[in-house]
Amino acid sequence: MTDPLVQFRAVHKSFGSYVAVKSLDLDIQRGEFLALMGPSGCGKTTTLRMLAGLEAPTSGTISIGGRVMNNVPPHQRDTPMVWQSLALFPFLSVVENVEFGLRMRGIAAAERRERAMMWLGRMDLQGFETRRIDQLSGGQRQRVALARSLVTEPEMLLLDEPLSALDAHLVIRMQGVLTRLQKDLGITFVYVTHSQSEAFAMADRVVIMGHGAIEQIGRPQEIFRGPKTRFVAEFVGRNNILAGPVKAGVMTTAQGPVPVLSGDGPMEIVVAADRVTLSRDRPAGAAIRAAFLSEEFAGTGIICYFETPDGAEWKAQVTETQLAELHPESGQDFWLSWDPARVHVMG
Amino acid sequence: MTRRFDPYPHVLRLPLILWQGAFFVIPLIFMAAMSFWLVKNYKLEPNFVFDNWTRMLGRGAFWDAYWITLWRAVLAGIIASAIAFPAALFMAFRLSEGGRRFALLCLIVPFFTSFLVRAYAWQVILAESGPVNAVLGGVGLVPYTMLNSGFGAMVGYLTLVLPLVVIFQTWSLAAIDRNLIEAAGNLGATPLRVLGSVIIPAAKTGLVLGAVFAFIMTFGDFVSPFYLGGSKPPTLTILIIDTTKSGQQWPRAAVVAVVMIATLFAVASAALRAAYGRRG
Repeated sequence: MTDPLVQFRAVHKSFGSYVAVKSLDLDIQRGEFLALMGPSGCGKTTTLRMLAGLEAPTSGTISIGGRVMNNVPPHQRDTPMVWQSLALFPFLSVVENVEFGLRMRGIAAAERRERAMMWLGRMDLQGFETRRIDQLSGGQRQRVALARSLVTEPEMLLLDEPLSALDAHLVIRMQGVLTRLQKDLGITFVYVTHSQSEAFAMADRVVIMGHGAIEQIGRPQEIFRGPKTRFVAEFVGRNNILAGPVKAGVMTTAQGPVPVLSGDGPMEIVVAADRVTLSRDRPAGAAIRAAFLSEEFAGTGIICYFETPDGAEWKAQVTETQLAELHPESGQDFWLSWDPARVHVMG
Repeated sequence: MTRRFDPYPHVLRLPLILWQGAFFVIPLIFMAAMSFWLVKNYKLEPNFVFDNWTRMLGRGAFWDAYWITLWRAVLAGIIASAIAFPAALFMAFRLSEGGRRFALLCLIVPFFTSFLVRAYAWQVILAESGPVNAVLGGVGLVPYTMLNSGFGAMVGYLTLVLPLVVIFQTWSLAAIDRNLIEAAGNLGATPLRVLGSVIIPAAKTGLVLGAVFAFIMTFGDFVSPFYLGGSKPPTLTILIIDTTKSGQQWPRAAVVAVVMIATLFAVASAALRAAYGRRG
């Protein structure tokens, strides 16, 4: 691999007594689509803002292209950002918004108009250049914000939950726009989101953050099927977690003994919801008993929620046909079984 | 669906309409009508002649007073805005929410004393033998005459309008979306260019309103030019006093007042268009 574009080294950021980011080490490669994902307050936005120079690290170093950037003010960096609120200038027209970065860099009026118009065209916004921002739809504003950030041809684009204010159907469309744009331009996208579907749909690599630290870095598939920590397993997707000591191929859990394929001593295993089978009678092999709570339609299937006797929540993904056959009622007991070969062992 | 008459909003609106009618519109109409009346033997006599208008507008002294009043009001608006702006910037962007509330309270405190009292205080401070000249004399400078001059009047105008201009500006600056300021820096704007190309345009409404307020209050102020400006040169307000004192010429004073109100309307509406106007 070539030199990374961005290096975070032992970066620490606190606001008073509140620690937002702690001992962060992260490399961001040139041309990759990296998603920073985690629940609110996990430090993902602070990390992005430090990259843009909007916050200074309390300690540690951040370098971009090999240069330590800790004391470089935002306006001397080439790290344009797309804000969650978009932060378009309401007192400027669409084309003036797009031109802003070029104007600040002292590009001549004719050239900056030409480059801005080129980007408006690329974003399917031709004909809108003289409009005011409040005369545009949400999706159009989104594209103006992208054009404004990309017009200076940066090496890296920072995006702070840019799709969170859009309608669901627009989110899918903008995801397509963003991934295509990133591939065409070949520049680095750093994308902050709390949405798993956005991160997994677009990113080459996903960084899961929790409580100011990185929990796991990996390709979407790796994180989805192989969460390394309990935090990731619970945050990502529909996972069921079993913990307990293992002896002679049997794990002793709060839900009873469960066969496992290997291991010895304390262990945590993850059973993905789409690998759980439901039945009324006790099946052979790995299974636990739980009471049905409710179901949720989730597009690709139906997620059924259960509660085990000790109060843990379990999820199982079924098809509509299966649900109709089972016809579960609230409080009814079921057996949830799985293939021990298809569980993920954490750690 | 039939639309029922909903009296509620009309009832709520009524006090304002009555107030404006009783204390603004009716006196204004009366004053405009009176400008066509005549005074005979120190008594007002309803009439409809243009005598007062031709006499007042035909006088050079009237136009001298008009231009000096207009000029001072413009100047006070500009100077007050310029002095207020750094203070408002500091209050809007450097102070905490609580600090800003305290500072705004401090700006309201001056209004606890009558403006006349504050003008008298300036008379003492700016007097030939007052503390300012004592300091100037102490460092070897000749005493400077500050009272009964345009400078004295300007001190009075600023005393009157500055706190309000700071309040207007602070409100409009504090209301700016901080993301816009960050976005400008993020797109390569130096702090000075952020000020010029984002903060000022975004706060335009409040900045213009502050200046217009200063203009309006200065234009109609009588205390500053009279007690601190020495009535020389006379402003329109002093002209009104003089006209009513000499021979009970209320109709001619009404002419001055109508011209003043027309000017204020013109300036205020132009400024409001500038403040709220959008391009495109």
